[in-house]
Amino acid sequence: MLPFKLIWRNLTRRPLRSLLTIGSLAVAILLICMLRSLITTMRAGVEHANPRRLAVMSASGLFVELPLSFQAKIDQVPGVEMTTKFQWFGGYYRSQKNFFAQFGVDPETMFAMYPECKITPTEIEAFRADRRACIIGRTLAKEFGWKVGDTVPIIGALHPHPEDKAWEFQVVGIYHSDVPNFDNRTLFFQWDYFEETLKQGGIPPDVSIYSIRVKPDANVDQVIADVEDTFADSDRRIDCTTEAEFQRQFLTMFGNIPLFLSWIGGGVLIAILVACTNTMLMAMREQTAEIGVLKSLGFTDGAMFELFIAQSTFLCMLGGGLGMLIAWSTQGGIARTIEFMFPGYAIKPETFALAAAVSLAIGPLAGIIPAWRARSLRCVEALRATD
Amino acid sequence: MALPMIRVQNVSKSYRRGGEMLTVLDRLSLEMDEGRFYALMGPSGSGKTTLLNLIGGLDTPDSGDLFVSGENLSDLAGADLSHWRAANVGFVFQGFNLIPVLSAFENVELPLKLTRLSGAERRQHAEHALTLVGLADRMHHRPKQLSGGQEQRVAIARAIASDPKVILADEPTGDLDRKSAEQVLELLGRLNREFKKTILMVTHDPHAAEHAQSIVHLDKGQLGRIEDNRRAPAMDAR
Repeated sequence: MLPFKLIWRNLTRRPLRSLLTIGSLAVAILLICMLRSLITTMRAGVEHANPRRLAVMSASGLFVELPLSFQAKIDQVPGVEMTTKFQWFGGYYRSQKNFFAQFGVDPETMFAMYPECKITPTEIEAFRADRRACIIGRTLAKEFGWKVGDTVPIIGALHPHPEDKAWEFQVVGIYHSDVPNFDNRTLFFQWDYFEETLKQGGIPPDVSIYSIRVKPDANVDQVIADVEDTFADSDRRIDCTTEAEFQRQFLTMFGNIPLFLSWIGGGVLIAILVACTNTMLMAMREQTAEIGVLKSLGFTDGAMFELFIAQSTFLCMLGGGLGMLIAWSTQGGIARTIEFMFPGYAIKPETFALAAAVSLAIGPLAGIIPAWRARSLRCVEALRATD
Repeated sequence: MALPMIRVQNVSKSYRRGGEMLTVLDRLSLEMDEGRFYALMGPSGSGKTTLLNLIGGLDTPDSGDLFVSGENLSDLAGADLSHWRAANVGFVFQGFNLIPVLSAFENVELPLKLTRLSGAERRQHAEHALTLVGLADRMHHRPKQLSGGQEQRVAIARAIASDPKVILADEPTGDLDRKSAEQVLELLGRLNREFKKTILMVTHDPHAAEHAQSIVHLDKGQLGRIEDNRRAPAMDAR
């Protein structure tokens, strides 16, 4: 058996090259962890979707709004238990870099529709009572240091204030959610305040999305069909889907992101495999004479194969381990940064298992060509490498 | 009558060089007795190193048979040949060929990893071999920290660590100054006299060859004369 010391010292004989390779591997594994986690986070929204909730939006897409009058018609559809509305506000706090989601909502129905939005009854009552009230997610509160009682000025980029000033909302509650399809970085404000203010400027408000809760005994597919039929002859065609389908469509709004991310991950893997193979080929060339010596001492061709597979595997395990460590230690910061788009970002144990498996697999794969060459090298040819 | 330690029978070996076949050994036959110190001399290209490599099982002949330590090397291949080499032959190279990332002790211990010896026994054997070559106090030094002569002595310690019957040395003094060369040659002579090792040493240097009991001359791949060297220290000691 070849001593472990030989494997380790062969790796450390060119410390800079080994460090650079380990660094590249670490970055690749970090990227794989992040990309995979983005995919699982996106899919988590679909997985956690409530099967009895439906989303209604314009058939033309999310950027086209629906009339306010549609709510009453939806409420009349058999099987519909409750309806609530969301209006995308699209504003920002002080400067455009401070971007987060804001929605105008109806406090009477929103909390009943979304029990995953955890907030105290007192705060809900305060939200109902004050037209200028807003509730904010826990992450948002932490990010901007806002607390109950603060006034938050939001510049309405899509919906400018008729008096050409910032909209002012008073924080009356801080909610949190433990499920990934309801993020903690959103501001919800009173629909009535929004509607009244826009009307002052002579603009009737529209609705971005209606959310429907289906009665427990109703057939979801039938309700979807009935809702769509209700507006079949309207000049504003609608698209009614399950919440899961809505989440899926949201993800594919800019294309098939999971597939795109998977392709990037695959590309990263191929690039790092080539880089590691190159490192191991250089190592093999440097160690050619030593291969001859080891063979002359009685080490078999198979032992030479194992030597390079072991070196490569060890190198990749070090890089992979470092990448996973960085991924683990940075996931909190990344989760906060992308919470608005991808709430609930976290690296799952399965992702770490995948990263570990990839690191373990790249090692032997990257080592196979140099290992095979070392195995096939004739002893006398290898010894001549000293000349 | 005892069998020779090394028997070379009608061995031929050719290499292709620049599209042309070059015959290095031409139906060579030779016998070498157990426990003797042989020097193999001849001009460049006479086939000395090729013969040494064939005897050590590092290369295979095109035709003919090689018997070393009672084994027909033609019957061995792959892992069997490697195992035979580990048990029967120790090599000493001109360029020392120590593993640079291992200490002197670790280099000497390396062939012992192929034996069934325990860790403690391996340590004992390696230390003993290093003591024998006078480098017990340098065992934890890396090759870079040793002089050329010391490196070659470590290489000799590595060659004898697993107690092979045959030591094959290819120009062991070629890269050494006169004083170090003399120490190495004395050491080889001592291994022959005290431990009855059969030694075959390739050399260009007539002074180095003086340490051998027999000097075998090769010329153009064929056996020349074989001289008994009566001035060799080994002969004097008998």
